[in-house]
Amino acid sequence: MIAVELSKMLRRPRTWVTILLLNALPTLVAVLLAVTDLGPRPGSGPAFLSAVLADGTLFPLAALAIILPLFLPIAVAVFAGDSVAGEAQSGTLRYLLVRPVGRTRLLVAKLVSVIAFVLLAVVIVAATAYVVGSLLLGDQPLAASVSGTTLTPEQVAVRTVLAIGYITLSMLGVASIALLLSTLTDSPLAAALGALAFLIASSLLLTLDAAEVLQPYLPTRYWLSFVDLFRDPIFWRDIVRGIGLQAVYVVVLLGAAWANFTTKDVTS
Amino acid sequence: MSHDGFAVRAWQRWLAVGLGLAILLSLPSVLGALPAADSDVGATELLEQVRDSGEVPFSGYAESVGGLQLPVTRDFTDLVDLFGERSRMRVWWRGSEDWRMDTLSATGETDLFHRAGATLMWDYEDNRATLSSDPDIRLPRTADLLPTELGRRLLSEATAEEVTRIPPIRVAGRDAPGLRLQPADSRTTVDRVDVWVDPQSGLPLRVQVHGVGSDTAALTSTFLELTVAPPSESDTSFITPTGAEFRFEDVIDVAAAADQFAPAVAPDRLAGLDRRTDESTVGALGAYGRGVTLLAAVPIWDEISRPLRDQLEATPGARIDEQGVYVSVGPLGLLLTPGSREQRSWLIAGTVTSQTLADAATDVARIPVADG
Repeated sequence: MIAVELSKMLRRPRTWVTILLLNALPTLVAVLLAVTDLGPRPGSGPAFLSAVLADGTLFPLAALAIILPLFLPIAVAVFAGDSVAGEAQSGTLRYLLVRPVGRTRLLVAKLVSVIAFVLLAVVIVAATAYVVGSLLLGDQPLAASVSGTTLTPEQVAVRTVLAIGYITLSMLGVASIALLLSTLTDSPLAAALGALAFLIASSLLLTLDAAEVLQPYLPTRYWLSFVDLFRDPIFWRDIVRGIGLQAVYVVVLLGAAWANFTTKDVTS
Repeated sequence: MSHDGFAVRAWQRWLAVGLGLAILLSLPSVLGALPAADSDVGATELLEQVRDSGEVPFSGYAESVGGLQLPVTRDFTDLVDLFGERSRMRVWWRGSEDWRMDTLSATGETDLFHRAGATLMWDYEDNRATLSSDPDIRLPRTADLLPTELGRRLLSEATAEEVTRIPPIRVAGRDAPGLRLQPADSRTTVDRVDVWVDPQSGLPLRVQVHGVGSDTAALTSTFLELTVAPPSESDTSFITPTGAEFRFEDVIDVAAAADQFAPAVAPDRLAGLDRRTDESTVGALGAYGRGVTLLAAVPIWDEISRPLRDQLEATPGARIDEQGVYVSVGPLGLLLTPGSREQRSWLIAGTVTSQTLADAATDVARIPVADG
């Protein structure tokens, strides 16, 4: 079942169009930086972007920071929102369930497919950014650690891989929300927009002091903590909490999706 | 399957999800409500432990939250952040003359490396390292808000009569007996300072400062992670990275500048409070008082005082009279005296009552202008 879903995801043109679009903005930013030689003021703009004019090999991190707040979650919401509701809307869900396939297995296969999509997208964005950054931007190795210590290329590579893994895990909460909504409605658009509304609310509440008591539980709370991987020594506290929070969202929302989907009357 | 059986299974599954959610949501509250074990240590003994803890090595992570929205100008923006925002701090402490403290932000960090009377500041976002020797007088910095530093400083001059024990709480996974300081001096605007202490090491783990008449803490600083063991030497060492700017500064902030270059010298006594002898006694900036009854006075030129006066006068609740403009922010009071013929004013600030500030304004008005 999982193999079938993965194969279907990889064969769909929309997967590759989405990944292409995700690459477009960071590439445009790299070209603009290279042409104008005008980087953002230190401390402003996405993480690591002020450093890439000197060291282009840091551009994968800047590219991930560019797509992380908005474009990546939109792609994930659209993809996960379509997973069950899309089948229902096109009238194939009924036929899919006629096969000897448990609904729980189908749900898990859909989630795995979404995770694979996120991982694929993040890896391709990072790889493209590395090539673009190396070709267009600076070639003077900087103090790659934000604590001022110089990291070896191997250390930068390992930490970048960890950042890719962390960002992928950070998207699990969005995917679970969209997947739950996808089992509640036959409209993929409604499911995707519902997940995005949740994320916008989360981002807004993070800026409000009065919402401080809620902030540790908001799905976007620890997204930018991948920067902590580039402190020296690595600051694990928020990274561990970020992973734990996403796990809670997956357990609760996937549980709700499972409770709803496995006992739902599927008519379309 | 019958329709009834289907309905029962649906009900059971939603119940399982609901129970799981309830357990996850209640877990932090349940863990937080677990009682902390108390200690039979007395208030005076705990106070001594805190005072002797300056050389205890440790490392950890702490956060401070300030509730004071200071109405000051851009020369003092660091103070606004320090006392009005949340600060996230990592610290490696080998001793009072060998430590490192990182202030974390979402996209970078600003680190202080202190060794043998000199402090090096690394600013990642500016890609710059700045070395300075520690002046006698300076503005507060993030390192001063660490629970250990803040707790020791606030309790440093407390008398045995001013401290009592309060119930323990759990801080950074440790049972921490509490100590309350209630200042005896009626001129202070600090109602109480609560400090929870690690009874093994004497390190303050959590500090809360309350102003008079307020249930909300004006300043809270707490450890969230703590390891009481010596950090390695490499943790507190720094080598300026290739490509980064390095510079030396002999004047690190406006307080240090005012202390050296201001147009008058602070008197030995102000508003009945003696000048402190643990800080500079010859510069322009004077610090007065004892314990948490503190007052500072500094003469400033008109080009600095003018925008500050505009800012203070526009602050809601500002009081303007012949002694100047007075603003209170929580337990902190600020008074800026009127501009004089010699084109200078006095900025007087402290955790003292408005009457004490007014008395200080009367005293500084009698100070003659320094030559040159």
